[in-house]
Amino acid sequence: MLDMATKVDPMTDSRTPKMAAKDVNVFYGDNHAVKGISLDLYRDEVTSLIGPSGCGKSTFLRCLNRMNDTVATCRVEGNITLDGDDIYDPKIDVVQLRARVGMVFQKPNPFPKSIYDNIAYGPRIHGLARERTDLDEIVAVSLEKAGLWNEVKDRLDSPGTALSGGQQQRLCIARAIAVNPEVILMDEPCSALDPIATAKVEALIDELKGRYAIIIVTHSMQQAARISQKTAFFHMGDLVEHGDTTQIFTSPKQERTRDYITGRFG
Amino acid sequence: MNDHIVKAYDNELKDLRSIVSRMGGLAEEQLVAAMKALKEIDADAAWHVRASDRALDQLELEAERTAIGVFARRAPVADDLREVVSSLKMTGIIERIGDYAKNIAKRTLAVNEAAPVVMPQLLEQMADEARRMIQDVMDSYVHRDAEAAMEVWERDEALDNLHNAAYRQILARMMENPSQIGALTHFLMIAKNLERIGDQATNIAEQVYYTITGIMLEDARRPKKDFTSTELVEEQ
Repeated sequence: MLDMATKVDPMTDSRTPKMAAKDVNVFYGDNHAVKGISLDLYRDEVTSLIGPSGCGKSTFLRCLNRMNDTVATCRVEGNITLDGDDIYDPKIDVVQLRARVGMVFQKPNPFPKSIYDNIAYGPRIHGLARERTDLDEIVAVSLEKAGLWNEVKDRLDSPGTALSGGQQQRLCIARAIAVNPEVILMDEPCSALDPIATAKVEALIDELKGRYAIIIVTHSMQQAARISQKTAFFHMGDLVEHGDTTQIFTSPKQERTRDYITGRFG
Repeated sequence: MNDHIVKAYDNELKDLRSIVSRMGGLAEEQLVAAMKALKEIDADAAWHVRASDRALDQLELEAERTAIGVFARRAPVADDLREVVSSLKMTGIIERIGDYAKNIAKRTLAVNEAAPVVMPQLLEQMADEARRMIQDVMDSYVHRDAEAAMEVWERDEALDNLHNAAYRQILARMMENPSQIGALTHFLMIAKNLERIGDQATNIAEQVYYTITGIMLEDARRPKKDFTSTELVEEQ
């Protein structure tokens, strides 16, 4: 009885972090790229990771779905949990983890397949659809959520690579959504897009934020200010400051943050 | 604070700061000139104060254009954002101070139309206090001194007390000399103008404090010692 009352549903609870990093260190050989970072990430928030090139923000992002596993020289220490479970536990199925923690990259990278198959691929391998109609449904809903449905519904058989850059990026977001992720990682998702396509992706991120924990690496201060509720500033592997985006962009507490976001870095 | 990587950005902020400082200096001069004209019953000098107010209006416009340019080009954040927003507000406030000085000059002309009436002495004290508040708050702005701004902010109480005293003094004179009520009413309004100038100086102090620290001073309400708007004077 007591257990029932105190049990927290991780899918809907917004007070306990969706993901929590504790004292995370990352090394590339001798290079200490991420230094003792602790950061909580929440389901109904967009968190921006900002900082100059080489500050460790992308490396940290890639720890969150173990993308760094593919880098031979990379060593990750510390603790990262998803709904309280250690994602570096040897028993964790990494393919399953990456379905729960999806990723969108800097350059749109649709598969050389049809628009339909780009979305259907994930649900198929994860066994999310039993029949063709289920799959049709997932494809339609995912494209709908990504704001792309109206633009592509009449040409689902065309290759994904035939879409414009902005559409391709939204296709990649739809592809990430299709496997019902809980967290979406985005690594500079708009840096290859023009302002209109960028605005569409930003509007989409805003739409999605109630359903997923979204963590985005961006080099655009204005983008971080526009789309995120929390901002974390990285510098030389350190997490210098983390807080409400409005606070960071009006009254940062640390001088290094101030100097970076105002363009005073020497 | 370090310079911006983009030098032109620093220059734009410097321009903005210089306009704000110039306006502060001008407003102080206008107040001094208006009070001198009032004391010396000098209509020409009062006219000059009225005409000079235009310079403040022009500078306010210039500040507005500069600030809008910074917003458009730089999308300022953090200290820069606070600086530009506060500059906009400060120039608006200083322009108001100029309006109060102009109003004192206008009333000087009106007072002079009838038989001259001796200026209540407390007005001079009030003006002196208000002038020092403007000077000190503008110094705190130039020197980026949040403590000094806070000190000016706290000083408003003294001016409010002087205003209460001046208000009673002028009312007493009205009762003694009903024939001077017209002129004395202008003095009453002038006292109010001076009290308002003090309020504006505290508003500037809030902006300076916010620019430097990022903390909004108005969150901690200033004790208001001006009772004249709620008080009735009964005939004794």
